[in-house]
Amino acid sequence: MKRWQMIKLGLILAVYTIVGCVGLAFVYNSTSKTIAQRLEADLQAGLREVFPEATGFTPTDKVKSTNPNIVFDAAYTANGPSGSLGIAVKVHGPSYGGPTTLIVGVSTDGTITGVKVLENKDTPGLGANAASSTYYVDKATKTTFPGQFAGKKLTDAFIVKKDVIAITSATITSRSITNLVQVVGKAASEALGTAGPAPVPSSQSPSAVLPSADTIRSSSKPATSSLPGVSILETSVGTRTGTIVGAIAKAKAKSYDGDVTVLVGISTDGIITGVQILECTDSQGSPILAPDFAQQFAGKKASAPLEVGTNIDAVSGATFSSRGATALVKATADALVKALAGGGL
Amino acid sequence: MKRLFGVFVNGLIVENPLFVIMIGLCSSMAVTTTVANGIGMGVALTFVLVMSELIISLFRNLIPDSIRMPIFLIVIAAFTTIMDLEMKAYFPALSKSMGVFIPLVVVNCIVMGRVEAFSSKQPVADSTVDGLGMGIGYTWVLIALAVVRELLGNGTLLGRQIMPSSFSPMIFFVLPPGGFLVFSLWMAASNNLRRKLLAGKKPEPTQDSCCTLPENGSAEKA
Repeated sequence: MKRWQMIKLGLILAVYTIVGCVGLAFVYNSTSKTIAQRLEADLQAGLREVFPEATGFTPTDKVKSTNPNIVFDAAYTANGPSGSLGIAVKVHGPSYGGPTTLIVGVSTDGTITGVKVLENKDTPGLGANAASSTYYVDKATKTTFPGQFAGKKLTDAFIVKKDVIAITSATITSRSITNLVQVVGKAASEALGTAGPAPVPSSQSPSAVLPSADTIRSSSKPATSSLPGVSILETSVGTRTGTIVGAIAKAKAKSYDGDVTVLVGISTDGIITGVQILECTDSQGSPILAPDFAQQFAGKKASAPLEVGTNIDAVSGATFSSRGATALVKATADALVKALAGGGL
Repeated sequence: MKRLFGVFVNGLIVENPLFVIMIGLCSSMAVTTTVANGIGMGVALTFVLVMSELIISLFRNLIPDSIRMPIFLIVIAAFTTIMDLEMKAYFPALSKSMGVFIPLVVVNCIVMGRVEAFSSKQPVADSTVDGLGMGIGYTWVLIALAVVRELLGNGTLLGRQIMPSSFSPMIFFVLPPGGFLVFSLWMAASNNLRRKLLAGKKPEPTQDSCCTLPENGSAEKA
């Protein structure tokens, strides 16, 4: 008897559920087309906003996100009257109150053409001002928060409160949007082939850190560092008309929360001839890839202490990465001096 | 007719869902940062409330008592989804700015509370009118909250700049603490009016026992 009662109740519940689902199916059918059209229209309007002079957009899959939290929903090549104008990417990534979706346009000359906020779930009146067309970070020029990115060079630092004006009381929103724009900018510029501050492959660059050499060959005896955690990946020797003028090493070590890879050149008299920061995977470390930072090392004596704050200037916003890179340069230079002194390269 | 009118005005002040029954406060705090959101949420909830009360009252004799809750939820969820889809299709901006609070109407205690306490026992006409009264009672409170919060917190009304440009927006009012302050001040005013309205009248037995139901207290967090 009790079992029958339960089956009966279950059937009644099933009837209500089925009726409800059928009703929903009808509503879904009648609205899904409109909703899809709205989303498509939003996307097209956003693409036009970042590339006003484009004649059309073709989907592309060349652009890849380097950050697992930041997802590229779609990427388009903007077609102009005479070839490609650049790449527009629809991207979403985490922000204060949930994911934020943007359209970011990157032109072939390595600048951001525009940023449009499609969706932002941050605090109304604060973070949500990112999507507002009447909230100005610069009232004099009527620049909105996303508007300030238009025309920005990809080689800029992209640091909120330094070269990006924050939204009042919404620093987290400002940071996450800035980060999204920068990630898209980098990925797009790589796809476009306009490498801004992008790492230069080491095979092309050794001569740049040891300009006095006319031939670079790989060393027969690799340099080794006595410091734990520093691994020297490649050692090369620079010669000029057959005589050794210096040595070059590519080395890698842990930095703030990622790794930093540098290329250090040193002359036989123990002077650092040049440094390149090849890669930095720290979360806020990319500014140290700027050539200005690495240029500070050239001409310094390898035996002298190298310290951020005394004879090396940190890149603002990336102090820890600056320190990590400096320590690695010092360790690599020491290793090279030792290797040069030991001979047999 | 007079009886129906009584049911209708009941929800406006005397048994206002937010100020007197005090259920469904969470979403009301969250969406009232702008007037447009307040109106949108009010209309959305009124629609779900009226339709759910209508349908449940219509089928009230065909709903077994032991599984009434899941059936109520199915009905409420169906209407919430319908309203969510319609809003996405025809009012995309509003739907976007209210985000997750539209789907969350499903678990809004006002809907569940009224369905359980009122329409599962009352005739169709009364239930529909009760839904309308409660919905409008909810909507006016949202608008009242949102007007104060948007004006003081952002200097605008319905997105239009009202305050002179020398006015510095008090962000406090947009944040939850400001919301609670505005809410309590409005509640004091409304309940003062309520006391005056009820003064002289005999404490009339209301048709439902909503306020004494244990679910309402515990469901308030939803």
